[in-house]
Amino acid sequence: MPDLKMKILVVDDFSTMRRIVKNLLKQLGYDNIEEAEDGAQAYSKLKNGGFSFVVSDWNMPNMDGLDLLKKVRSDPELKNLPILMVTAEAEKEKVVTAIQAGVNNYIVKPFTGETLKEKMDKVFERLAAQK
Amino acid sequence: MNDEMEEITLEFITEAEESLDKIEPRFVELEQKGQDTDLINDIFRSMHTIKGAAGFLGFQLIVDVAHSAENIMKKLRDQEITLSKPLMDVILKAIDMLRLLLNHLKEKDGIIEDVSPLVQELGNALKAAISGAPDTAPSEQIEQSDAPVAQALKEPEASKTISAKITAEKSPDTAVKPDEASQKTSKAPETTQITAATPQIPEVSKAPRSPDNGTAKNTETAQAATEGEPKPNEMIQAAKDSIQKAQNLRVDVNRIDKVMDLTGEVVLVRNRLLNISNYFDMKYTDDQMTEILMEAVSFLDRITSDMQLAVMKMRMQPIQKIFSKFPRLVRDISSSVNKDVELQIFGEGTEVDKTVIENIGDPMTHILRNSIDHGIESSEERIAKGKPPKGKIIISTYQRGTQIVIEIKDDGGGMDVNKLKRKAIEKGLLTEEEAQKMPDKEAIDIIFLPGFSTKETATQLSGRGVGMDVVKTNISLLNGYVEVSTEKDAGTTFKIIIPLTLAIIQALMVEVNGAKYAIPLAPIEETLKVSKKDITNITGQNVIVIRDKICPLFDLSSFLGLDTNGSEDLDYKYVIVILMGDKRFCVAVDKLVGQEEVVIKILNGLDTTSSFVLGATITGDGKVVFILDVSSMSRNLMDLTKA
Repeated sequence: MPDLKMKILVVDDFSTMRRIVKNLLKQLGYDNIEEAEDGAQAYSKLKNGGFSFVVSDWNMPNMDGLDLLKKVRSDPELKNLPILMVTAEAEKEKVVTAIQAGVNNYIVKPFTGETLKEKMDKVFERLAAQK
Repeated sequence: MNDEMEEITLEFITEAEESLDKIEPRFVELEQKGQDTDLINDIFRSMHTIKGAAGFLGFQLIVDVAHSAENIMKKLRDQEITLSKPLMDVILKAIDMLRLLLNHLKEKDGIIEDVSPLVQELGNALKAAISGAPDTAPSEQIEQSDAPVAQALKEPEASKTISAKITAEKSPDTAVKPDEASQKTSKAPETTQITAATPQIPEVSKAPRSPDNGTAKNTETAQAATEGEPKPNEMIQAAKDSIQKAQNLRVDVNRIDKVMDLTGEVVLVRNRLLNISNYFDMKYTDDQMTEILMEAVSFLDRITSDMQLAVMKMRMQPIQKIFSKFPRLVRDISSSVNKDVELQIFGEGTEVDKTVIENIGDPMTHILRNSIDHGIESSEERIAKGKPPKGKIIISTYQRGTQIVIEIKDDGGGMDVNKLKRKAIEKGLLTEEEAQKMPDKEAIDIIFLPGFSTKETATQLSGRGVGMDVVKTNISLLNGYVEVSTEKDAGTTFKIIIPLTLAIIQALMVEVNGAKYAIPLAPIEETLKVSKKDITNITGQNVIVIRDKICPLFDLSSFLGLDTNGSEDLDYKYVIVILMGDKRFCVAVDKLVGQEEVVIKILNGLDTTSSFVLGATITGDGKVVFILDVSSMSRNLMDLTKA
């Protein structure tokens, strides 16, 4: 069972989307949630530390989700941070790129709280297994 | 949870509308620039995001429309198809539909639009573009995109990089992905064209990245570079912008208006307190409590002013909000009358009061329509006159003191003053004699007369029964005024001048026939005390000479239709010199009382034009005082002279 107090970063350029994802996370019991508007902002927030999970949109201005993912993976301090990528349609080649870049899982918009929980659980199961 | 859903829906509507506002001018830009990766990506992203959020909220119609439009944008982005006018038209249609759908959501009117024809149309347009693409698109692109690879490899000198960088900023559309470029080369065998292509532009895609990346930062930009993503300096700017945005708070307008109202009330009470404390100060000068009272009141005075300013700023928004609609508007209007018009906008960051934002759109649209319809000539006519075939309209906005100036300048045919006069006589708006006497400068104002329209037959655009008089009325509702200057064959300039704030103004308090009136301070140039013998009467019009300039003089009492009981007997008069636009005139009053900050309370059911009353206020001594409308006074000077 993941720790409900963990700090989660929701990254999306559309504030309505951030709010929706935040709401879903709250329904699952998480309430330590912060927001970022794009990859660049997200990265600087992550660098300040304390985050245990990231839910990031893919297509954003400035720095998109994939670039954020690559940046996090190449950063020695952050490289193990679990990231869940939100994509609009299941575009195979895109997902493959994300997996190659080290995404922990992806979720297709629109999704329900349940799907989000499943995906998150899977991510944490796998992380626990690796340890 | 229901409330939460409602709030999310509202937020979605606002945000989606903002996104559409933002991308709409980009379409026009795209049409001008052609295949621009950054622009296409921006538009694609907005469609994509709107679709995503609408999906969560279950707004299927929005999802359907956005999805179809997104499909087209995606193919454009991946350069599988090229941009064409029919494609652009159908995407713009989709945007209009999205707006309509959002509006239904906002109004909660339950109206369900049938989007299937549009979705079909979008699909067909895409199909048509795809089937048409292989013939035209790739060969066209090869010309542009092959050169960078060859050229950049050959000449990677520093001097080239600088020139390339400049070109890059001017024409980002040429920043083609290098890897794709090479791909296309291998696909298509027409290599002869490579060397023929102009070298300095295409270089852009490779050369300028490296120095920028070096200064800017990190590894990930390498990725950005190959994808033709925004340049690092732009990224930094954008990042700054987004950080700023993150600190914003969305507040219901009604709440701000409430604060504004309350602030107005506080100002009124402050004014009364100032009055009362002055009374005590005079009566009990040596009393210590009086001193303390004075101190407290003057502190309140300062704080209130600061608060007023702060609240005023809360209501200020960049005028860009309205301007972003104009490129599309100009595009649509000019193509409907078969004219070629370019729009340039300056100063869109100028901040104006929310009320201005809400009310300036219509009059500006009207002026733009007029400029395109009546002002700008057809391309043939322009060429015959030795002008560039493409007409130009420039909108520029700036703050001048406590006023905002919006200029709309076209380089069209200008207005023919004699034609205006003739038309006005025909329509019975002027008499022959009046027309002859009328100086050209004033004659331009004829266009603002109700029921005036210069084209022989009103076209679908400009002539809809409403004319320029509506423009004037709308702007004077904002306490502003319009100035027009025109030159034959050189064009016409409309200048809209509006005060920064609408709710609270500085006013000069005057007295006529024992009653007090407030006159807005902004248009007042000076006040004079004039001896009766300095007032001359020329053909029935009183005038005074101020520093060698003759200025017409009117009695405020005659403006207001009051008796001039007794004031005629005074040896001197107080005269207020008013400058409205380029019209200067003097108004005589019995007494100047002083300057006061007044809160305008609009009086319902009062015709401001004929009464010359803008509204009312409560003064420091608790009395209700009319605030006079100087702009309608200045417009009616002619009537007054006649009378």
